[in-house]
Amino acid sequence: MTKLGIALGLVASLMSSAVMAEAVKATPGQAVNMVLLPKFLGILPFDQADRGAQEAAKELGSTGTYQYIGPTPENSAAGQIEMLTTATTQKQNVVMLSNNAGDQIAAVAEAAQAAGTKVVTWDSPIPSGKGESLFVAQVDFGSIGTVMADMVMSMTGGAGEFAVLSASPDAANQNAWIEAMKKVLAEDAKYKDLKLVDVVYGNDQSEESYNKALGLVDKYPDLKVIMAPTTVGIVAAAKAMQDEGLCEKVKVSGLGLPAEMVSYTMNGCAPEFALWSFVDLGYLTTYTSYLLATGAIKGEVGETFTAGRMGDFTIEADPGREGAKRVLMGPFTVYNKDNVEAASK
Amino acid sequence: MKLKSWEGMLAFLFLLTLVANAMLAPEFLTLQNQINLFQLSIEKIIIALVMALVIINAEIDLSVSSVLGLAACVFGYLVHIGVAAPLAILAALAVGPVAGLINAVLIARVGIPSLVVTLAMLIGFRGVARILVKDQSMGDFPQWVTDLGQKGFLGPIPLSLWLFVIFAVGLGVLLHRTGFGRQVVVIGTNAEVARFSGLDVARVKTTLFLMASSMAALGGVLYAARLGSVRGDAGVGFELDIITMVLLGGVSIFGGKGSMAGVILSILIILNLRNGMALTNITGHIQTGVIGILLIVSVLGPNLWERLRRG
Repeated sequence: MTKLGIALGLVASLMSSAVMAEAVKATPGQAVNMVLLPKFLGILPFDQADRGAQEAAKELGSTGTYQYIGPTPENSAAGQIEMLTTATTQKQNVVMLSNNAGDQIAAVAEAAQAAGTKVVTWDSPIPSGKGESLFVAQVDFGSIGTVMADMVMSMTGGAGEFAVLSASPDAANQNAWIEAMKKVLAEDAKYKDLKLVDVVYGNDQSEESYNKALGLVDKYPDLKVIMAPTTVGIVAAAKAMQDEGLCEKVKVSGLGLPAEMVSYTMNGCAPEFALWSFVDLGYLTTYTSYLLATGAIKGEVGETFTAGRMGDFTIEADPGREGAKRVLMGPFTVYNKDNVEAASK
Repeated sequence: MKLKSWEGMLAFLFLLTLVANAMLAPEFLTLQNQINLFQLSIEKIIIALVMALVIINAEIDLSVSSVLGLAACVFGYLVHIGVAAPLAILAALAVGPVAGLINAVLIARVGIPSLVVTLAMLIGFRGVARILVKDQSMGDFPQWVTDLGQKGFLGPIPLSLWLFVIFAVGLGVLLHRTGFGRQVVVIGTNAEVARFSGLDVARVKTTLFLMASSMAALGGVLYAARLGSVRGDAGVGFELDIITMVLLGGVSIFGGKGSMAGVILSILIILNLRNGMALTNITGHIQTGVIGILLIVSVLGPNLWERLRRG
């Protein structure tokens, strides 16, 4: 954990040293029509992002409209494509998209940009970067790999088999994190005794994730950890292990919401997990989108701006996606028995 | 159109959605929105036209969305491994007749109910699609493919929309103006009587299932071109929307009754309703709920309608 602290400190100092130019401040009270389009409706993190977005929109005094709309989980990709198309027709100024359609949405996003609707992604970008103004990244995707590997390390005691239970196969964020983790595992000798045996997908559906978790336990009798980098998957996996009385044998970790994970952390089924604030992510995305839509920033690498209570941010090249740009929020918190109860309130 | 017919009521409903949309959403009547409205569901509505014939024939094809997915994945996979796009399109289209033939043999020759056969194939063809592309998404198609799927072809109207118009007219003529169309209806009314009167029931059914799968495979290619990328779950769940369109169109689920005009009106109503709800920022859950209620109405409606007219 101390290493992680140092790493985060480094990132923070890098960010502050990058802030050289005068930070652009928003001129409040302009009319910006905004749409917050999550992967789908009905789960807590996206509702939290909505809360943050509303907070920012209120602070900015935007006289335009703000919509929080999304598809159903079963119809996520097609629904997002439809809703982005509709937003373009409505001549919305900016759509804030947590992309769940992979590159299938790129053509529609390019059409949106051509018609004057900006597309700012958050949480999950468009993999090719096509049609995207920029991506508001929750944390550095590379550093998530290290954190995930470290959590597996501490839970296995340094050696053993583990598997990944992810969201949908096309979720750009999860895929990038898993790749980052594989890279860390391969490059750093201290992880040499950890063995990633499988990656399965529960499509962010509770029941499917629950069954996939049980399937992993059946298939790999020596499995020690299920790493679920999705808030739906981690709860489902923890519940599956608890229901089957397997918590002593198989630990669950990954990215989860304290409010949903607190009981599993306290009873030892999921002793350690990580996350960032979705409220802050929605807040920062809204500030970025407002500045972009009002022309205060152009969305070019090197521009620095102020995002209300969260301070200054700089647009940079996205190291994970060639040609794409990002605003990095970071850092994130690792939750365990000591801090999860306070955070779940 | 007769005043008291189901089609008359659909025409009224269609006008109602049209007026309501135009009043509630200023963007509704723009050309781009009208094109988008069709484009976003283009694969479903093309398949619905053939599904109408299948259901009038007292059969059902639940496997269409999986055939669509398989064709899209075959195309994506072949381009991915370096096969030239025209060849990949031909191979994807060939998925249609092959899948249709499997369905047709089991239904028309072996005699297993189409509900059972196509339900199995819904799972089976989807399985093959998922094995083919695994958990990846495959894109980077040649520019001309995605242009065909996304851009105007002969003016601002995309190729797929022209195809829909051609198929709507062609299948309307086939159903209402040809001997084959009459056979479809007669067999749908009573297959036993049709068989005793010397009609080749198996041949008609085979033709219909070949048509349905071929159209679904074409839908798969259009889907890939429209989105520029495919994955194993392409088109999942489309069959329910397709069947909703057909049933709301007044086609009897028991066969023997239905018109192409009704199905086209029903397609227009559903597309307008979806578009109107989207433009007025109604969220996905409610949209699904409204379409669900429509399905109930469409199944009960024609029956109650008949009773009212007779009563």
